Amino acid sequence: MKKMLAVLAVSVLGLTACGETSNTAVPAVPGESKTAAADVLANAPVAEAAAILPGSTMEKIKKRGELLVGGSLDAPLLSQQNPATGQVEGFDADLGKALAKYILGEPKVKIVNSASETREALLSNGTVDVVFQTYTITEERARQVAFAGPYYTSGLTIAVKKGTSGITKPEDLNGKKVLAGANTPAIPAIKKLAPQAEIITFGSDPECVQALKQDRGVAYVQDETLLIADAKKDPSIEIVTKPFTVDPYGIGLKHGDDQMKKFVNDWLGKIQGNGVWQGIWKNSIGTVVTGDAPQPPKIGSVPGS
Amino acid sequence: MSAPSTVLFDEPGPRARRRMRIATVLGALATVALAVLAVRQFAANGQLDAARWQPYATWPMWRYLLNGLGSTALAAVVSAALAMAFGLVLGLGRLSPRRWARGPAVGYVEVVRTVPALLLVYVVLFALPRYGLDLPLFWKLVVPLSVSHAASFAEIFRAGILSVERGQSEAGLAVGLTPGRTMRLIVLPQAARRVLPSIVSQSVGLLKDTSLGFVVSYTELLYSAKVLANYNGLLIQTYIVVALVYLVVNMSLSKLARTLEARQRAVLRRRIARG
Amino acid sequence: MSVILDHLPELWQGLVVTLQLTAASFLGAAVLGVVVTALRVSPVRVLRAIGTAYVETFQNLPLLVLLVLAVFGLPEIGIQADLLVTAIVVIAVYEAAYIGEALRSGVNAVSKGQGEAARAIGLTFTQSLRHVILPQALRTVVQPLGNIFIALTMNTALAGAVGVIDLTAAANRVNLVEAQPIPIFVGAGLAYALLAACAGFVTGRLEKRLVVLR
Repeated sequence: MKKMLAVLAVSVLGLTACGETSNTAVPAVPGESKTAAADVLANAPVAEAAAILPGSTMEKIKKRGELLVGGSLDAPLLSQQNPATGQVEGFDADLGKALAKYILGEPKVKIVNSASETREALLSNGTVDVVFQTYTITEERARQVAFAGPYYTSGLTIAVKKGTSGITKPEDLNGKKVLAGANTPAIPAIKKLAPQAEIITFGSDPECVQALKQDRGVAYVQDETLLIADAKKDPSIEIVTKPFTVDPYGIGLKHGDDQMKKFVNDWLGKIQGNGVWQGIWKNSIGTVVTGDAPQPPKIGSVPGS
Repeated sequence: MSAPSTVLFDEPGPRARRRMRIATVLGALATVALAVLAVRQFAANGQLDAARWQPYATWPMWRYLLNGLGSTALAAVVSAALAMAFGLVLGLGRLSPRRWARGPAVGYVEVVRTVPALLLVYVVLFALPRYGLDLPLFWKLVVPLSVSHAASFAEIFRAGILSVERGQSEAGLAVGLTPGRTMRLIVLPQAARRVLPSIVSQSVGLLKDTSLGFVVSYTELLYSAKVLANYNGLLIQTYIVVALVYLVVNMSLSKLARTLEARQRAVLRRRIARG
Repeated sequence: MSVILDHLPELWQGLVVTLQLTAASFLGAAVLGVVVTALRVSPVRVLRAIGTAYVETFQNLPLLVLLVLAVFGLPEIGIQADLLVTAIVVIAVYEAAYIGEALRSGVNAVSKGQGEAARAIGLTFTQSLRHVILPQALRTVVQPLGNIFIALTMNTALAGAVGVIDLTAAANRVNLVEAQPIPIFVGAGLAYALLAACAGFVTGRLEKRLVVLR
């Protein structure tokens, strides 16, 4: 029995690494867009030694040799794992790598797959250094975590099956069956703007798209970027409104860590100034949204940031 | 398994056999016709297009799924080990003559058995972090599964221990062993062998329950499928493939359970024959 | 506690859905389970094989996978049903495999002489199954069936993953808005425990009565 427990304990120690994906941004499979991502990262700045203050979080990360990022594996365009390479790709993921390079000199990150409900806890107990995960800055959240940024602004919009009429604004959803991703901000938004809507939730974006196509609901409320990607992949659905919410995404940091917040904000300013931010946008969201990268939101412009 | 129970019928005669054959052929035709209809509709919706299945003919996709399967196995093995250890303690507690041991054990088993595992997952996922206990993803899946399956394992062990003839423990006590040693040296080894098949089938149930990793986003097989479907948009194809993987793995385990059961029976029979 | 009272209508609606899911799918599973048992003990080898294949398939697939496949796959082969109905059918089909197994072991526990006697007085396969074997088999399987009922009740929680707003899904949604997981989930847990306790009570009574009848 004792032996068994010992074996168990040992194997268990090795297990804490599970659910985390080691993700070093080495040049990947040739002929893919990753080379473009690598090109952009090659231009990403590295902080001068003086910026890594002694005793700071940045120094701790530098000593560890790896940036721990709270993120997703299943958010297309933002932070989606590529099953073929094991790499996590997208806007959020690449920004994480760029920040890692700024601190460490190389884009070494480990993505800790965090369910969105526990991000505050992950930050406060130090499981992750930063969170890049469509983390909308709110004053309520700012009481538990610190936000650098905002680094991007997005919003919810509505998609329908092509040919559906009568839905042009959120209020039109009243009395209708509306699809939304489980545990997404779409749910409270719909409840607020169209309280009579019947909300049907599914666990992932492809499920919601499939449900829309199979008439499980007449409309699907989701982040604009995702819906643009969906509409591009699947010509039978279309987007019918402009974004009707404003969701400024922030970089989640440990509450009260002002040094780190200033450091990350400085970095954000730099990559927005030298075109790295725009390059990362172009490689991810820019692959479905036509035109140039948008004007990034002003750092610190949102209450809570 | 293959030998039919003959409680209900005699060997069919020639006429019955002919009628059976006709019915079999007709039934098969009807089934095939329905299947063809379904498949044609499926194909008409484009779900059988080669392009939609092609990714699953490539190694990287399978490597990803097999990684997920590995995580599923890991979660299942660790949960099973924990649930069994805890279940054994509970089972023994429930049989204990002392009330302070029996009460909590009975209470635990009866309460946990009646709470959905999913609800326990939600508690670990949402409630515990608010009290400062934020487990790593792996444990967010393993802890609720262990808690929930420990109750089932407790019942299995209890039944196994009760099935060992009383004479065995009486003999143990008679030769001067303490009750604890009697349990450990005489009763438990026999009970363990008897409940082995139930343990394997309970473990299959546990393995199936690791699919709740879907909810906690621990990258087991089903969550891997979710990531894959997000990546390639092939929802139905991905789930069909994953269903087949589950089926193959679990069927092998169930087969193992049956083999063990058969061997168990053979051993018992031999022992009885020997007297 | 006040969280539960504030959201009582939603939670109540969730509980009603859970009850619907449980009752309807158990009924369906019981009927299907009897059919599966009949297949597995039938004299025709093909039917036995079908019965075995059924049990093997559905006992070895996670319910969650079946639910997702049914909800999104069935419309693709031309069967479009309401989400709740789909969930009920899937849970019934899934649990029927377990009920079938429980009933079969019950049938096997009936002594051989009973079947022989039934045939000797000229009862057909169906008749002997219905009037002689199953009534006796049911007696020995009351307890296992009770356990399956409890497991089925717990399993209805998975319907929440495919858009059905059952008690667990309703509790989860209320928690998303209120962020008070402890009272909400404990309350939901109590409701489930109560359901299971009712089932335990009924099976206990049933068992006692059937034993006396013997």
